Amino acid sequence: MADQNLKFLVVDDFSTMRRIVRNLLKELGYSNVDEAEDGAMGLAKLKNGDFDFVISDWNMPNMDGLTMLQHIRADPALSKLPVLMVTAEAKKENIIAAAQAGANGYVVKPFTAATLDEKLSKIFEKLGKPA
Amino acid sequence: MTRLLHDSLRGLGLDKLLERAAEDIPDARDRLDYVARMSEQAAQRVLNATDIAIPLQEELDAGAKKINSSLQALALQPATAEQYQELTNEMMQYLTLVSKNSAETKSHLMEIMMAQDFQDLTGQVIKKVTVLAQNLEQQLVQLLIDYSPGDKKKEVADGLLNGPQINPEGKADVVANQSQVDDLLDSLGF
Repeated sequence: MADQNLKFLVVDDFSTMRRIVRNLLKELGYSNVDEAEDGAMGLAKLKNGDFDFVISDWNMPNMDGLTMLQHIRADPALSKLPVLMVTAEAKKENIIAAAQAGANGYVVKPFTAATLDEKLSKIFEKLGKPA
Repeated sequence: MTRLLHDSLRGLGLDKLLERAAEDIPDARDRLDYVARMSEQAAQRVLNATDIAIPLQEELDAGAKKINSSLQALALQPATAEQYQELTNEMMQYLTLVSKNSAETKSHLMEIMMAQDFQDLTGQVIKKVTVLAQNLEQQLVQLLIDYSPGDKKKEVADGLLNGPQINPEGKADVVANQSQVDDLLDSLGF
């Protein structure tokens, strides 16, 4: 049973994609979802809000997803935040860089609802959180 | 004569520009191909989903109309217990059908929603083609203005901001699907 109160931040510069992820999260039982259109805005919201999970794109203006992830891991208040990368970037060096920067998972676009569900569950399992 | 032309071209920086154009224009063509392909796929997914979902809704409508007329017929004359029983059964079957068709229709609507992801991917690729075109234009204008070797295009040094892979087949440094992502992460112990 999903913990409906978990607060998600969805970061992507394309509003269609933010909307799709939001709808999928709702289907999985999570309706507490906020959005940001780039890494800078995302980071600002994270520092101010009480978020439990970040789903982020990589290629965005102002601050890309990898840089945002690095800032998250460097901030003692945010460093433990689970971050799932959802991105079209498909070079092996992207995947490796994300893993080394501390991403909890990597979903490549285009993705299915089942994949998102699976990766979220996997992260919750590893963290010992009630999914 | 040819050598003279060649040297002049090099002097003006046109040889570099032509080289660039020779590479960038096919790249732009591939990218636009990708956009066309993704858009068409999305349209097909949506049309397929609506093809299936519409009859499901029509079936529900037909079922409701049938029960409605049965109810009205029963109301016109004193009905027997059997007739009410029969109608009750029919209604229960119909309610089961409603649940089934609603769930199926919803999954097709979700499919239609997911199909909109093409907009993100094609949008990223279109941005790159726009940049490409702007660069070519800038260089051409520059050359036209001052007939001196054009400024070298500022290399976008970031090798990690490539956007969607439009043709991943046969490239060793690229993954083509989620399964390959998972395999790579597994192999690294993540």
